[in-house]
Amino acid sequence: MLQESAGRPAPPSSIVVVEHLVKRFGRFAALNDVNLEVARGEKIVICGPSGSGKSTLIRCINHIEKHDGGRIVIDGIELTDRMADINSVRCEVGMVFQSFNLFPHLSVVENCMLAPIKVRGLSRLDAHDRAIGLLRKVRIHDQANKYPAQLSGGQQQRVAIARALCMQPKIMLFDEPTSALDPEMVKEVLETMVELAQEGMTMVCVTHEMGFAREVADRVIFMDGGSIVEEGDPDTFFRAPRTERAKSFLSQIIH
Amino acid sequence: MNSLDFSIILQAWPYLWSGLLFSLALTAAASLIGLILGTCFALVQHFEIPVVSQIVRGYIALMRSIPLILVLFWFFFLVPIVLGHLSGNGRPIPIGATYTAFITFGLFEAAYYSEIIRVGLRAVNKGQFEACQALALSTFDTYRSVILPQVIRAASPIILSQTIILFQDTSLVYVLSLTDLLGAASKLAQLNGRLVEMYLAVALVYLVISSAASQCVASLRKRYAFTGAHR
Repeated sequence: MLQESAGRPAPPSSIVVVEHLVKRFGRFAALNDVNLEVARGEKIVICGPSGSGKSTLIRCINHIEKHDGGRIVIDGIELTDRMADINSVRCEVGMVFQSFNLFPHLSVVENCMLAPIKVRGLSRLDAHDRAIGLLRKVRIHDQANKYPAQLSGGQQQRVAIARALCMQPKIMLFDEPTSALDPEMVKEVLETMVELAQEGMTMVCVTHEMGFAREVADRVIFMDGGSIVEEGDPDTFFRAPRTERAKSFLSQIIH
Repeated sequence: MNSLDFSIILQAWPYLWSGLLFSLALTAAASLIGLILGTCFALVQHFEIPVVSQIVRGYIALMRSIPLILVLFWFFFLVPIVLGHLSGNGRPIPIGATYTAFITFGLFEAAYYSEIIRVGLRAVNKGQFEACQALALSTFDTYRSVILPQVIRAASPIILSQTIILFQDTSLVYVLSLTDLLGAASKLAQLNGRLVEMYLAVALVYLVISSAASQCVASLRKRYAFTGAHR
């Protein structure tokens, strides 16, 4: 809208469009006709009981899981079986895993430099500068030359966030980023995520951290049995869930 | 036989040394060829490339089920005949004892290294592959920069153990009339009749080199214990 050139179509307002998504594991339908649109800059929290398909949904968005039916369009690129499409989507979508998945044989800064060099074609020097800049942002630049095994879980997860940001993605996916952490380390990771949200990053987070959801989420999506059962703004959802399933789920996680 | 006379070892040392150098060169070359080829074999099986992976599996099963000395014979006698037929004039093309030794040892060790790497590949945490996917790394970069370095590190103690066995096996080249450390000692022992001294000295050299390498294995194990293939 601001700087639109004549020939180019206007960027779609939704950066993520998921239509009638189906994913099966054998005969088990992990996702059953899921529809989701995410606007630019929107922050979405997905919650639900285990096995509800929430992780599978975000893993389909960057094609770590291949979907069996429906359409996924990320920033105007439809995810097909073409490797070129998959890679251009993956370049725009950063992901943070429950188990960090840092590369144990590389130092913290090398973890952050690898993909920008290999995929984005940055020089080592530029990649290093970018890595240090983002490590500073997650307040871990003083550990840049250590190896992942020498860091605490919370520190490792912040490195994982920096590593994803080094690709300069337009969307960040978080798959239960605090579930594998000791309680005292959850806060430092959530703070980093809140800062990222405040800077306007589009975020889709699978998490049960209700405090985080209330603070940053524009929308909460509740999934059960492979479908989206309920969605709404966090205040309404947590205070007065409409469906029975959401009520019973919330009563189990809030003590 | 007279009392032991170890001064003979000092006189014989230059010859023994040249034998030892040959053993070490053969070990180094064969382990390098074996490691590169073995990694390729392991990847072919890991990716389950049709036909090629079945051929590789058959090759590995064959190499692991027959004695090295038999493979040496095969290569020395059969390959020249095969080459001769391929070249068209039917006359055997000798490839020479030294080449035979280097190629055979390399090909033979590849079968063993490949099994080590294959098991290592399976042990890599699936999260490592997912992280590479999420970062849009190509399959080539994923394996070259992330997966294989971890596999080689985690497997390095076993790889080195296998290389120690290889070093001891190099003594088999006597069947090709090549002179390695043990071969050098045997020849001298037969010339000067000092069998006990010669074989004791040679055993000591093997002992020192192999146990030094074993020390390396132990320290590698300690070093990579905490950064293994997991996490």
